[in-house]
Amino acid sequence: MNSFISKQFPMNTMSRRLLRMLWPLIVVPLTAPALAADAVAAPSTAAADASSGAAAPAAPAADATGTTRSLDEGIQNLKKDVVDLNKDLFVLEEELLFPANTQVAVFVSMDVGDFFALDSITLKVDNHDVSNYLYTPREVAALLKGGVQRLYVGNLKSGDHELVAFFKGKGPHERYYQRAASIHFEKGVGAKYLELKITDHERAQQPEFEIKDWE
Amino acid sequence: MRLKHPFVKISGLRHWALCALWLAGAAHSSAAETGLIARPAPDFALPAAVGNNVRLSEYRGQPVVLSFWSSRCSLCAAQLTALDRYYGTYRSSGLVVLAVSVEDDPQRAVDYARSHATSFPLLLDQTKLVSRAYGIERLPTTVLIDRSGVVRYLHSDDRAGDPSYVAQIRALLDDTLGAP
Repeated sequence: MNSFISKQFPMNTMSRRLLRMLWPLIVVPLTAPALAADAVAAPSTAAADASSGAAAPAAPAADATGTTRSLDEGIQNLKKDVVDLNKDLFVLEEELLFPANTQVAVFVSMDVGDFFALDSITLKVDNHDVSNYLYTPREVAALLKGGVQRLYVGNLKSGDHELVAFFKGKGPHERYYQRAASIHFEKGVGAKYLELKITDHERAQQPEFEIKDWE
Repeated sequence: MRLKHPFVKISGLRHWALCALWLAGAAHSSAAETGLIARPAPDFALPAAVGNNVRLSEYRGQPVVLSFWSSRCSLCAAQLTALDRYYGTYRSSGLVVLAVSVEDDPQRAVDYARSHATSFPLLLDQTKLVSRAYGIERLPTTVLIDRSGVVRYLHSDDRAGDPSYVAQIRALLDDTLGAP
């Protein structure tokens, strides 16, 4: 015991003496609960062994499956909580950054698209570039399926403003095509929503670009 | 009394330990300078020299090799050739290779793309916003992005044919844990 103490705890003579004196006080409380637990567990384990017989090896496997299942459920619940929290944070952030009294949002929608393959849209508000968005084929396909994209959200003070949108892409006969559309609008107290609509003009065999003001 | 400079007392072993520490620090600082490793790769949408626009975030779920190049850099040509070879091998496993040109004159990149028909898109970064976002200081620079969109490796060197590239690409392909 003494050699064990001296090897494990290199210390001065006084400390070693103190530790020798206190050693039983340290060891007994540490080992007693473990021994007591063994004593309590032993009869119950023996009883379980006797009752289960051959089915005993299957029990740990069943426990493991149950634990894994509960862990999976826990992870799924946690993921759901994270998604919900993210949604709430997003809404709060939107309300904070773009309050309704100054908010302006511009949406893009596209219909048919036989005469125009969208490549990019540049937005100018009051002659300032606010957005320049490049479209990939997947995004164009999503728009053609009926999707609506929020291209821009920002803040504007109340009063008259001008929005200009430049549409670039391939027009009829695969030629480079650029058109602009503009709108003068009045920003009031509530949020302002504008929609850039790209449609096909069948009779003219040309695309049409329109900006709609959602009152 | 003779005074000695404290550095004179440094023994051989200590000297080597200090060197190792300095090297480790230097390596750490270079990785920290980029600030990209283990962070989400900055998203971008760029026009291709030939073909459609490309957005990085559309490749989430697939490992992406991003190579920054210029037609003026001779090492970049070798790098693109090697990447074309790797892309041919691992394309079916889901590997995506994107080459971003940092050319001042986009026409040179277009000419290069037409003369060297690579099987992956050659993108044009005319505004240099993307190369700035990735902190590109040397060419060629290769960024390896995992399935969850996190930068895993960054090489600012010309080791195009280095087997470590292949090992890292394979590690990214084997990594299913990174998938969203």
